[in-house]
Amino acid sequence: MAKRLPHRRVVIVGGGLCAALISRQLTAQGVDVLVLERGIDHANGPAARLPSQRDELRWAQRQGLMQNWQRETYTLRHTRHEESLPVRWMGAFLPGEGVGGAASHWNGQTWRWSEYDPALRTRYETRYGKSAIPKEMPLQDWGTTYAELEPYHDLFEKLFGLSGKAGNIEGLIQAGGNPFEAPRRDEYPQRPLEITEAGIIFKAATESLGYRPFPGPAANSSGTYLNPDGQRLGPCQYCGHCERFLCEAHAKATPDGLLYPLLRTRKSFEIRTHAQVLHIDYDRQAKRALGVRYLDLESGEEYQQPADIVVLAAFTMSNTRLLLLSGIGASYDPTARHGVVGKNFCYQTQSGVGLFFRNRWINPFLAAGCTLTAIDEYNNDNFDHSALPFLGGANISAGVTNGRPIRSRSTPSGTPRWGTEWKKANAEWYAHSCGVGAQGSCYPHVENYLDLDPVYRDIYGLPLLRMTFDFRENEVKMSRWVTEKVGEICKAMAPDIMGPVKGLQGPFDSRVYQSTHVTGGTVMGADPRSSVVSTHLQHWDAENLFVVGASVYPHNSGYNPTGPLAALALRLGDDLVRYSSRPRQL
Amino acid sequence: MSDEKKPNDRRSFLLQAGLAGVASLTSVALPAGASTPDTALIAKTEPAARSFHSLGPEEAAFIEALVNIMCPADQFTPNGVDCGLAIYIDRQLAGPYGQGDGRYQSGPFKQGKPELGLQLPLTPEQFCKAGIAAVNLACKRDNGATFDQLAPAAAQAVLEKIEDGRMTDPRLPLASWFNDIIYALFIEACFADPMYGGNRDAVFWKMIGYPGLPATHTIDMVRYRGKPYPGAQNPKSIGDFS
Ligand SMILES: Cc1cc2nc3c(=O)[nH]c(=O)nc-3n(C[C@H](O)[C@H](O)[C@H](O)COP(=O)(O)OP(=O)(O)OC[C@H]3O[C@@H](n4cnc5c(N)ncnc54)[C@H](O)[C@@H]3O)c2cc1C
Repeated sequence: MAKRLPHRRVVIVGGGLCAALISRQLTAQGVDVLVLERGIDHANGPAARLPSQRDELRWAQRQGLMQNWQRETYTLRHTRHEESLPVRWMGAFLPGEGVGGAASHWNGQTWRWSEYDPALRTRYETRYGKSAIPKEMPLQDWGTTYAELEPYHDLFEKLFGLSGKAGNIEGLIQAGGNPFEAPRRDEYPQRPLEITEAGIIFKAATESLGYRPFPGPAANSSGTYLNPDGQRLGPCQYCGHCERFLCEAHAKATPDGLLYPLLRTRKSFEIRTHAQVLHIDYDRQAKRALGVRYLDLESGEEYQQPADIVVLAAFTMSNTRLLLLSGIGASYDPTARHGVVGKNFCYQTQSGVGLFFRNRWINPFLAAGCTLTAIDEYNNDNFDHSALPFLGGANISAGVTNGRPIRSRSTPSGTPRWGTEWKKANAEWYAHSCGVGAQGSCYPHVENYLDLDPVYRDIYGLPLLRMTFDFRENEVKMSRWVTEKVGEICKAMAPDIMGPVKGLQGPFDSRVYQSTHVTGGTVMGADPRSSVVSTHLQHWDAENLFVVGASVYPHNSGYNPTGPLAALALRLGDDLVRYSSRPRQL
Repeated sequence: MSDEKKPNDRRSFLLQAGLAGVASLTSVALPAGASTPDTALIAKTEPAARSFHSLGPEEAAFIEALVNIMCPADQFTPNGVDCGLAIYIDRQLAGPYGQGDGRYQSGPFKQGKPELGLQLPLTPEQFCKAGIAAVNLACKRDNGATFDQLAPAAAQAVLEKIEDGRMTDPRLPLASWFNDIIYALFIEACFADPMYGGNRDAVFWKMIGYPGLPATHTIDMVRYRGKPYPGAQNPKSIGDFS
């Protein structure tokens, strides 16, 4: 039925960030790579051109660059005792579709996680004792260390021309940077972005409270930049159309801007768009992936694409779903606490407080995706948890990234929702409001997981991925506690009006955008009984199958996810060069 | 009832004239070159921009009444109809959004917790229209007249009842109809680029001080940090650059 295509050396599923980074390493050594991407190439379309780029309705509200929910969505329930229903229009998180993936329309906030994040279980057990981690929290070490990943962080940051201020260069704390930063070998490639007015107020307030604020690390270019591959970034325009948008100014570092143009010049590289991968062909006896099956969304033809090496780089949700659909590895079962695929599904714990300043011009439209000023005193395990009823923490920041008028206006609570009073409040506060947010960790819970939905199917007839997820006690307590700290900072910022100080409250709401930071499902680790892939991201049940992306994180940290997954992807690229010449268990 | 002040004089005129949904009264009835901002806007309105793609006459009357309640003419903007809000809603209902584009539409259809999102088999256009019919029915039952015939205070009270779930319908989740569809469309109508038919002359952008396009602010970022931004008085939209 499916037409069989000529065999390829490496086939990568998904044409986003990870795929581009892996391909960069492989094709530099002449290894044959084929990337299969379900979406289109947006590079020369209306999303990337002025004036159509600046269309909030089209790109942000109607999700013009995102996964098409009509074709494939996810089902949701908060506990496994409830019936799942399909999220018919997802608001909470927005997987991308098209060359560059979600990273083509990301903000670009590019963190290295805490130095101890890859060994978090060990960290907590050592610091607080064996019983500190609740039974229902399956934290696990990654089996790799920050030191092993540091060279790849460094490479990624140079490729993407990050703008920032180092806080810790080889152990020496740097004034003006993040003192909790994992040690880095040198300064950021570019100076930080300009600070916003909200950032100035936040900085003064946090300093007065004894905290050490710093500019958030940014993949928005503060100047003109030439990367090690000879690719260029232009200076950021602070246009306020960053997250959910492509960057027409080539100032946001993205795979479609910096990596795919280079890859297309390399002879051993090919990318096929409109290629919806449906299945990984798997030889159960030999424990090998044989290749993939995909549907050509232009012709409707189904193809069988044989490969020596298959890499899943299709974002958290598709990575997990493709393994489940293909029956590779045991699906996680929370009752028996058995199986691995789908376990440790985490999200991001967000909360915030709104602020209104009569006499300060916040001008939210003068902003970039990464214009944030932050503190890290209460992130992750940067503070003592011994007397606290939770683990984890949050990065606290005044982040003004846009003033787009449909979504990003705020009015003091109690304002009517329409009518003259509503207009008056908007006229009064639009240019004078901002928020302080807490972006918190989210640790795994035995009852939060992914599996295949028994009822609902995608447009191709395959079962949808089901999320069983809610914010559990640990996250709710953490959020309440950290948000109190946010409240104290907000008071010190002395606004005329301050919104309610409330931590995140469940239940998880699919309608409200929170972040596209869904993690887990195909977690990494040193033990096949608790992980899907090895510390080198090699599938335990198929030596020639690799999985990369936030799906391999055993937990989510109090940072955006992309820094470490980019480092993992670059390292995987190097691993695959070696594996390709001598296949073995890495 | 009949001597109550009607919120939508245009509609009653059009019904008398048998012209509902076809031609624009205001564009011919007002003196050209009138100097208040309201009438200047209205004078510019082209007849074609007052005819509807999706809404029938009763539905259009409902939506026009609704946007005039939610956006009365005041010191900030002209009334909702004159800001193009009804046209915006009509165009969205007729277009991909209204037809359910990008929305998962397969069954089975079951109701669940609100956090799982809307679960109706209806497209947004169908839901919008079914809601209009249901609210009109309830208004007739409770107030003896359809929504568009109510005095502003009564219409406002109806919207508040729907918004917080005090007006219910045996078949339709009216609160969700208002909050998920109508209110969302209203906000977009006010703040989306004027090329979509609402926010006429970027009147809402002016109101809040959003400068619009082209938004190349590398220098502004420093120059106007913490200061009023001059471009905020004169916002530019996609049409100004096309
Ligand atoms: C609005 C927004 C803002 C964000 N901001 C930040 C930020 O500031 N900082 C940060 O760290 N992260 C941010 N992120 C997240 C970031 O974009 C992701 O972490 C990153 O893109 C992940 O890279 P990836 O390669 O794993 O997946 P992606 O880059 O998403 O690539 C996956 C690709 O796989 C394709 N695909 C999926 N399924 C299939 C299939 N079955 N067949 C074929 N192709 C398939 C998709 O179409 C997609 O192109 C943001 C995301 C969004 C949406």
